Order: sequence, then structure tokens, then C-alpha cells
Amino acid sequence: MSVAAGVEYYVLLSMGLFCIGLFGILTRRNALMFLMSVELMLNAANINLIAFAFYHGNLTGQVFALFTMALAAAEVAVGLGIILVLYRNFRDVDVTVPTTMRW
Amino acid sequence: MMIEALIAVALVGALVTFVAPNRVAGKLAFAISLVPAALSLWMFSAFDGVGNALLEGDLAYESQYEWLELSEYTISWFVGLDGISMPLVVLTTVLCTLAIVSSWTPIDERESQFYGLVLFIEANLIGVFAALDFFVWFIFWEAVLIPMYLLIGVWGGPRRKYAAIKFFVYTNVASLLMFGAFIALVFALPEVTTFALPEIAAAMLAGGPEALFGVAGSTLASIVFVAMFLGFAVKVPVVPFHTWLPDAHVEAPTPASVLLAGVLLKMGTYALLRFNFTMFPDQVAAYSVPIAAIAVISVIYGAMLALAQTDLKRIVAYSSVSSMGYVILGLIAYTQFGVGGATFQMVSHGLISGLMFMAVGVIYNATHTRMVTDMSGLADRMPVAVGILVAGAFGYMGLPLMSGFYGEFTIFFGSFHSQLLEYAPLFTAAAMFGIVIVAGYLLFALQRTVFGPYRLETDYEVGRAPLHDVAPMFVLLGLIILLGVAPELIFEMITDAVDPIIGGEV
Amino acid sequence: MEGAFSYAPAIAAFPLVAFVVALAFGKYMPKKGALAGILATAGSLLLSVVMLVAVASGEVYHGTIYEWAVGDALTEVGADGIEFTFGILIDPLSALMLVIVSLVAFLVHVFSLGYMNGEGETGLPRYYAGLGLFTFSMLSFVLADNLLMAFMFFELVGLCSFLLIGFWFRTRSAPSAAKKAFLVTRFGDYFFLIGVVAIASTFGTLQFAGEESFVAAAETAIADGTTLFGFGPETWVTITGLLVLGGVIGKSAQFPLHTWLPDAMEGPTTVSALIHAATMVAAGVYLVARMFGYYAQSPTALSIIAFVGGFTALFAATMGVVKDDIKQVLAYSTISQYGYMMLGMGVGGYVAGVFHLMNHAFFKALLFLGAGSVIVLMHHEQDMWKMGGLKDKAPVTYWTFLAGALALAGIVPFSGFWSKDEVLYDALIVGLEQPVILAAYAMGLLAVFFTGFYTFRMVFLTFHGEPRTDTAENPHSVGWSIKFPLVVLGALALLAGVANLAPVAKLTGMDITYLEFWLDGEYGYVEGLTYHDYHELVAFEEGYISSETVTMLLGAGLSLGLAVAGAVTAHVLYNVPEPTRHTAKLGGAYDVLRSNYYQDEYQVWLAEGLTLPLARAADRFDQTVIDGVVNGVSTASLFGGDRVKRIQTGIVTNYAALLVAGFIALLLVLGFIGGWFL
Repeated sequence: MSVAAGVEYYVLLSMGLFCIGLFGILTRRNALMFLMSVELMLNAANINLIAFAFYHGNLTGQVFALFTMALAAAEVAVGLGIILVLYRNFRDVDVTVPTTMRW
Repeated sequence: MMIEALIAVALVGALVTFVAPNRVAGKLAFAISLVPAALSLWMFSAFDGVGNALLEGDLAYESQYEWLELSEYTISWFVGLDGISMPLVVLTTVLCTLAIVSSWTPIDERESQFYGLVLFIEANLIGVFAALDFFVWFIFWEAVLIPMYLLIGVWGGPRRKYAAIKFFVYTNVASLLMFGAFIALVFALPEVTTFALPEIAAAMLAGGPEALFGVAGSTLASIVFVAMFLGFAVKVPVVPFHTWLPDAHVEAPTPASVLLAGVLLKMGTYALLRFNFTMFPDQVAAYSVPIAAIAVISVIYGAMLALAQTDLKRIVAYSSVSSMGYVILGLIAYTQFGVGGATFQMVSHGLISGLMFMAVGVIYNATHTRMVTDMSGLADRMPVAVGILVAGAFGYMGLPLMSGFYGEFTIFFGSFHSQLLEYAPLFTAAAMFGIVIVAGYLLFALQRTVFGPYRLETDYEVGRAPLHDVAPMFVLLGLIILLGVAPELIFEMITDAVDPIIGGEV
Repeated sequence: MEGAFSYAPAIAAFPLVAFVVALAFGKYMPKKGALAGILATAGSLLLSVVMLVAVASGEVYHGTIYEWAVGDALTEVGADGIEFTFGILIDPLSALMLVIVSLVAFLVHVFSLGYMNGEGETGLPRYYAGLGLFTFSMLSFVLADNLLMAFMFFELVGLCSFLLIGFWFRTRSAPSAAKKAFLVTRFGDYFFLIGVVAIASTFGTLQFAGEESFVAAAETAIADGTTLFGFGPETWVTITGLLVLGGVIGKSAQFPLHTWLPDAMEGPTTVSALIHAATMVAAGVYLVARMFGYYAQSPTALSIIAFVGGFTALFAATMGVVKDDIKQVLAYSTISQYGYMMLGMGVGGYVAGVFHLMNHAFFKALLFLGAGSVIVLMHHEQDMWKMGGLKDKAPVTYWTFLAGALALAGIVPFSGFWSKDEVLYDALIVGLEQPVILAAYAMGLLAVFFTGFYTFRMVFLTFHGEPRTDTAENPHSVGWSIKFPLVVLGALALLAGVANLAPVAKLTGMDITYLEFWLDGEYGYVEGLTYHDYHELVAFEEGYISSETVTMLLGAGLSLGLAVAGAVTAHVLYNVPEPTRHTAKLGGAYDVLRSNYYQDEYQVWLAEGLTLPLARAADRFDQTVIDGVVNGVSTASLFGGDRVKRIQTGIVTNYAALLVAGFIALLLVLGFIGGWFL
């Protein structure tokens, strides 16, 4: 296996990806965009996991990354379901409209 | 294994009753509750414990198993009975059985849940009196609150939510204070690696806590003593932490009141005796005067409040505050008769206040009012129930040959010659004035409600109470007279367990 | 237990059985429990007489029958254990009292057959159960060999008194009177109980008799000069003695706790006769006699007893003068007569006090039962102004009532004369040396006049003159069950004085002061409980006017003269065919007397005008301040929660922003602590 770039580059990449996702969550109102942003953040975490797994030379992180992907798939399924219900109830997929689920 | 059997029968019984159909739940719960009652009476007769549970006494029905390990601390299932807890366990089982019978008339919805909760409370109360490991004890202690909260909150009167929440939050916050203090104490005690109360008591008497978080050992002991006293004081309750009690009593259904006054209040004084008065003899001596003052204030102020009430249940509720003041006075006297009398008074007051609440409940079943001003001359229509109410009232006043007199007399005698308490005779004489006020408010209430010309505005005829309402009261009255005539039945056991606490002081 | 004394517990047990029987089965019995009561009290009477005979033959009994509680207690004199027991003490005093109590109880039960069973009264089982329980408690009180047992049954007779006064509970007045009776006596018992507790804490024993008694322990303490609870021994004995006296004053209706007794007349007249005249009220004086050795050690306590007694005798007698209700007159005379007994006890006249106790029990029971008979005659009318002329219609009632009246007024040779005279004589000889006692004597003497006056006012208004109403014209008839007790008690009222003809004995030198011999250990006696033992303890000096005989004759003549003067005054004013009230002459004094010196008013004010508002104020304080703080805490948390929850907008983006902000803040804080920015 060839010597790749240092782990810090992967961390920087993951950080960037995460910040993009975070930015999306904080600024977008469309629920679908929300979901995509969350995916970005999850993938940022995945990159971290794999990078450090490579760095430490074991497989634990990679296994975790697989887990995360499976969870992300499930989460998207649930998330899309919620969005459908949102749309049905509010005729909109804007996340700031439904505020009834508070005190 | 006997105690486990008691608790298990009550717990399983609770589950069975929960799923039983409503119409048989009452009878079923009664039948089930007879088992622990009979079992505990047998245990009482075969009791062979010697000395105090916390102070190297020989326990009866002891069992101990390791349960959990938390870093260096071991928690074990540790139960056993001594002369203080045995009578209280019997009181619990007997009173629960009678309370179940007395609920047959007033409880007419969600019966299976109601009776299930009563049995659940019984299991926890037995646990509180039998547990000798702090963690186990605390679990039972807290678990008592839940069913009582529900009993008041679901089956209670118009302001039941307020009363139930007040009861729950008030006593729970107090428990938190006590719990935190006690855990700090355990951490500060050297060489203590379990939560077994005897071990903690031994360590306390051997030298007390070491410094913890920069607080000196003796200061820590004082802080813990005060915090635990306050925590238990809410439960007892003593003035000024008593205001939850009348609200809870007024809103609670009759059987819940019976258990609340009869057993739940004793948890507070029992815990005071087990923790504060057994583990902290130095602090007891140091704080004797303020505690005695609190006791006297509880007696007199509680009685004065009872005098001002017009709701029969409030009258009995405030008089409980007054009676529990006597118990505190007996404890702080730190003499054999004082502490022994206080323990006796716990049992006696359990029986008498249970009787009073039942009698008031029976009257309420018939009249649908508890207001003194609403009725008059009930003796005309309900001679037997009123007869028992009058008998119970005189028991409350400390009529000789009833258990209340023995409890009060021994407390007064014990506190009068207390070596520990300064001005003991004056405190005693002041507290004794309670016996005049109690006669005042009870007789005043009786005169207005059950005597005089009959008057009650109802659109139906008030008749005699059914047998199953009256029978439990007869049983209680019989027990009250039995204990009044032959107090040695339990007093011998109690003094045997009390002696090690007061140690050299007689 | 030996011989006859092994039956002693049965004396008390019989009426207890009658109580249970009447309560449980009274409904189904032909006379509603009366027969059970009569049988039981007859049995008690029989056994009491057996006890009397046994004591007369020189035996006494003192033994514990039941250990109530034992324990350790470090008492003030250094004893380290204490036993609370039930025991029986049969000595001359208690044997005599047993006979008195069971005799009166028996006669009252018989009388009740005619008085209560007559007119379709409901609740008779309750009545007879009450009487049975009372007789049991009273006899147990008499038998008691220690102060705690005495206190316990002292309280129980109070309960019975409550139940029986309130027998007619459907009225407004009876329950109120019952409550008052119990409360006022309870107030006295509060001090009594402190006294019991104090004596137990001091001496570690509550026995009346023997080496182990608190009386003996007090003697030792005084001899040794032991400090007791920070006081000198004599002071402490005085204090504890006076505390116990609180119970006595309550039960024996002495000033200022006498107010309950006139109200107690709300009960059936039979109850008044048994409880509120002959026996329960006597319990207080009996208790003083029982522990006389204790009081004898404290001249202060004795003087207070004497003064209270003398004052009460006069005070109550003046109030009896203006009453219209026949039972009220008797009630005030009862208070007054118990004042005499207290006076006798207080001056060390133990025999005189007991003598008067015995005579009074007989003649006052007689008068009450006679009044009961009159009430039956008058179809339950008690106002004397509506009576008159009953003399010829009911001769048995009249003659027996007259015998009782003569005894009460103290006219020679009726029993009351002998005992009252002895009380006054004892007071006089001590009073000649002690000014306080002399004052008490003077009040007692003055009361004799009023006694003679109100007694005969009552007799004349009731029996003499013309009938003033139709009922008095045609009285109801009375049966044998009413007449029989009257005749028995009438004979006793006439003859009981023979028991102790002290003046005759002194004049003639004959040994006929039987009661004195009886109480002085001529027959059976218990060490330390005899008259001369007491007499040695009492520290009063005695003085005489010229000689003992002259003093005695002077005193007797004075009191007899005053009694006769009172009777004659009554005769002049009221023994006319159409008597008038004559109260206008009293002017303002009439209102004061009529209102009983406003004693009720201030006591009611203490209860209703002071205590009740205080309780209400406490309640308001509790509801507003204490509960206010509790509710305030909850309100504050609810308010705080209400404000804080506004962060939760429901907009997901805001939550995410807060999350991020929180994360950054945490990072910064950790950074600061970790020293990144330094």
C-alpha cells in the first residue's frame, strides 16, 4: 500500500464537508435540503472514521463507517416519511412552518 | 426468607389484582392481604430477635445477599427485623388488610387498579421497615410515594391533583436532601465499603466521618444530621413542614388516608429513630433543645390548628401533626421510656388515626359531607358507627386502658426525667398541654356533628353503616384496647431494641 | 392472695361484666340491662361488706395483681428502674369507700328501674352500660394501690361522666354540658398527670403504701435534704402535691374548676345522684385522703387545700340561695359540701374529712334520689316554683327528703351535723394558731347559715304550702323501686352519725368514736396509713379557747345556731301557703349570684373568646404564611419554567443553531480551561 497523504488532510476535508452540512441545516428551510445536509455531515464523520482507521491500521473505524451508512439509509427512509407527512399536513416542506410540537 | 415471602406475596398479589376484573378486585385483594397479615402475626409470635438491628443485635428473619458492586462499594439485599421494626411491620400488614375492607364501599371505579396499588404500597412499606441496606431501603422508601401519589391523584376529591403533586414533590425533595446528605456521609466514613446500615452505624459510633471536600468530619456530621432531620421532618411531618399533610388527607380517599396517617407518617419517625437518633448521639445531644422546641411547637400548634378546622378530616389530619410531635419529644428525651414510648406511640397512633379516618369515612359515605357545620345529631341514625367514632376520639385523647394513653404517658414520663435534654420538665409540661386541647377540639367536633338534634340536608334517608364498614373499625378498637391494657405485648420487644440506642443513658 | 381478699378483684369485675352484658345484649333483655347492673352491684356490695368485715377482723391486703409496664428510668432519687402496676390496697379507708360506692351504686340501679325504665325511654342499654362502666371504674379507683392506676380510673370515671351527662344526646344542652364537664375536669387532670409523671420521675415509685411508696420516699428525701429537680425537697413535694391537687380540684368541683358540676345536672337525676354527688365527685377528696401522708409533709399544700375548701364552701353556698331548679340547688350544695371535706383534710382533720365524705355520700344521694322522685311526681318538672304541697301527696318522699335536708343543713342529731361539726372544730383549733386557716374556718362557718337557708328554702318550696300548678295538684305515683332506696338512705342520713360521735365522746369519755378507731388502726391497718401517723406528720399547731371542751361546745353551738338560723329564715320567708321570691331585696347582689359570679362567663370566654380566635389566627397564619411559602416555591418554579420554555420555539433550525452555539461555547470554555488561548 502506497504511503498516502497525512491524516490531517482527511480531517480538513471532513471538517469542510461537515461545515457545509451545518451551514445547510442552519440556513435552509426546505426539509429535503435538510436531509441532504445531514447526509453530508454523516459522510464527514465517515471520512473521519475511515481516515483514522487507516491511520491506526485496524478495521474498527471502517466497520463503524459501514454501520453509519446503514443507519443513514434507514434515517433517510424515516426522514422522507416524515417529510411526506409534513407535506400532507401542511402542504409545504418548509421546516419553520410546523411549530406545534412544542409546549 | 420470611420477609421476602411477605413482600413477594404483596407484590404478586398486586399484579394479580391489577389484571383481575373490577367486581372481584376488592374481595380478591382482601383475601391476598390476609396472607401477609397472618404471616406477619405468626412472625410476631415467633419473634426471636435480640437488641437493636443497627447495633450488633441478633436479627430475626435476617437474610443478606450481595447484589451489585459499584466501584469499591457493595450493595446487598439485606433485610431483617428487630423489636422496633417488627411491630411496625405487623401494623402495616394489619392496617392494609383493614384499609382494603374499608374501601369496599367508597371505591367504585377502577377497583382492580386501586386494590393493586394498595397491595403495592403494602409491599413497599414492609420493605421500608425491614430493609437494612441503605440502597434497598431507599428504593422502597421512594417507591412508596408512587402508589400513594396515584391513590390520591386518581381516586381523590376535587383538588386531588394539587394535593397529590404537593405531597409527591414536597416529600420527594426532602428525600433528595436526605439522600444526598447520607451518601456524602458514607463517602466520608473510613473503611465503609457497603451500604449496610449496621456497618455505617458502627463506623459512626467508632469515630464518625473524616473530612470530605475540605469539610471537617465533625462539621460534616452536623450538616448531615441537620439535613437528614429536615428530610425526615417533612415526612413526619413536624411544624413548619406539615402543610402537605392536611391537603393530602382531605383529598385522599378514606383507605389512602388510613394508610397515610397510619403507616406513611411512621416512616418519618422510624427513619429518624434509625438514622438520626441511632447514628448521631453527639449531634442529638447538641441539638436537643431546638428539637424539643420543634416537638412542643408541633404538639401545641398542630392542636391549635385542629381546633380551628370545620372539616372532620382536616381535624384528624392536624391532630396527627400534634401526635407526631409527642413522638419527637419522646425520641429527643433519649431515655428508655421516651424512645420506647415514642415507638409505641407510632404503633398506637397508627391504629387510632386509622380508626378515626375510617370512622370519618363511614360518616362521609352516608352523609356525603365532612363539614362539621353541615350535620348534627348523627348518633340518632348511625349509633354503631358514631359509637366507634366516639371511642376512637377518646382513644385519641389518651383515655387510659387504650393504647394512646400508654404511648403518651411513657413519652411524658420518659421525657420528664431526661438527662440529655435541658429543662426537660418544662418541655414536657408544655407538650402535655396538648392533651387538653385535643380533648377540646375532638369533643367540640363531636358535640356539633354526632350529638344534638338530628339535622342533615339530604334527599335520602341516612341509615346504619354496612357490616363490612364497621367490622374493620371494631378490629382496630379491639387492638387499641388490647395494647392499652397489655402494652407489654410489644413494649418489651421495643425496649429491648431501644436500650442499645440510648446506651449508657437511662 | 389470702382468704377473703382473693375475691377483691371481683368487686370491680362484676360491674364490668354488667357493662359488657348491657352493651351487647341489653336490647334483648327484659329490663334492658337493669337486672344485670343490679345483680352486679349487689354482688359488689356483698363483697365490699365482706372486705369491711375482714378489715374489721384485723386483716388488710396490699398486693400487685398485674404488671402493666416495667422499665429502666434513672430517677431523681437515684433508683434506676420503675414498675407501673395494677394493684389492690384494702385498708380501712378503701374498705369503707368500697361499701359507700357499691351501696350507692346498688341503690341507684334499683332507683333507675323506677326512674328510667318508666316511660318508653330509648337507649336504656347505653344507660345501664354507662352505669356499669362507671361503677367498675370508680371501684377500681378506690381499690388502686398506686397513683398511676388511680389516675387511669380517675380519667375513666370522667369518661363515664361524659357519656352519662350526655345521655339525652338529642338535646342541645346535654352534649354541651357533657363536653364542658369533661373539658374542665381534663384541665385539672392535666396538672394531675404532670404530678404523676413528676412523682414517678422523682421517686421511681407510685405506690401509696409501704416502704416502697412515694410517700415514704418523700419523707426520706426531706429528712436527707436531697435536691429534687433543682428544688429543696419540701418545695418539690409541695409543687408535685399541688399538681396532683389540680385533678382533685377539677373532679371534686372546687373553685375555680367547679363550673362543670351545675351544668352536669343535664344528665338523668340518677346519674347526678351516683356520679355528681356521692361517688365520682368524692374521688378527688378520696385521693387526698389516700395520699394524705404526702400532703401532710407540706404545710403549704395543706393550707391551700384548706383555704380552697373553705372558700368553695361559702362561695357555692351563696350561689345555691337563688336557684329555682331543685337539682341546681343540690348541685351547688354538693360543691359547697365538698369544700367542707377539703377544709377538713387541709387542716389535718383526716377523720373528719372522711367522716363527712361518708355522710355526704349518703345524704346527698338521698337528696338527689328524692329530687328524682319529686321529678317523677311532677312529670319531669324541675322548677321549684311550680311545685308546692307535695308533703301530703307523697309522704315517703317527703319524710326521707326531710331527713336528707336536716342532715345537709347540719341539724342535730342527723349525720351531717356530726361530721360538719367535726370538720369545723378541727379547722377552728388549727385556725386559732394559723390566720389563713382561721379565715378558711370563718368562711366555712358562714356557709353553714347559707346551707341551712337554701336547704329549707328548697324543702318548703317543694313540699310545703299550696300546690302552685296542676301537676303539683295531681302528682304521678312512684313505685317501690323508688321508695326502697329512699328509705334505706333516709335511715342512713339519720343514723350514720353514730359512727363517730366525737363531741359526745369528749363530753362523756365513752369510747364511741368508732370511725376514728377504724381509721387509726384499731382494727386492720396498713403501716403508715393511719390517722396518728398522719397526725404526727402534719406540722400545724393547735390552740384552744380556754379548754378543749369549751372550744368544742362553742364551735358546735355556733354552727348549729347558724344552721338553725338559716332554716328559720327560710321558714319565715318561704313556709307560707303562697311564697314569693323575696329576691328584690338582694338588689344587684341577686344578679351576681344568679349569674354565678360570672364564673361561667370568663371560662367560656377563655375557651371561645380567646382560644378559638387564637386557633383561627393560627390557622390563617398557617394557610397564608407557612403554606404560602410552600406554594410560593412552587409558583416561583412554575413561573421560571414558563419563561425558560420559550426557548423551545418548535422551529427545528433554531434548535440546530442552539446546538451549535452550545457546542462552540463548550469548546471555548474547555479551551480556556485547557489553556489554548494563553
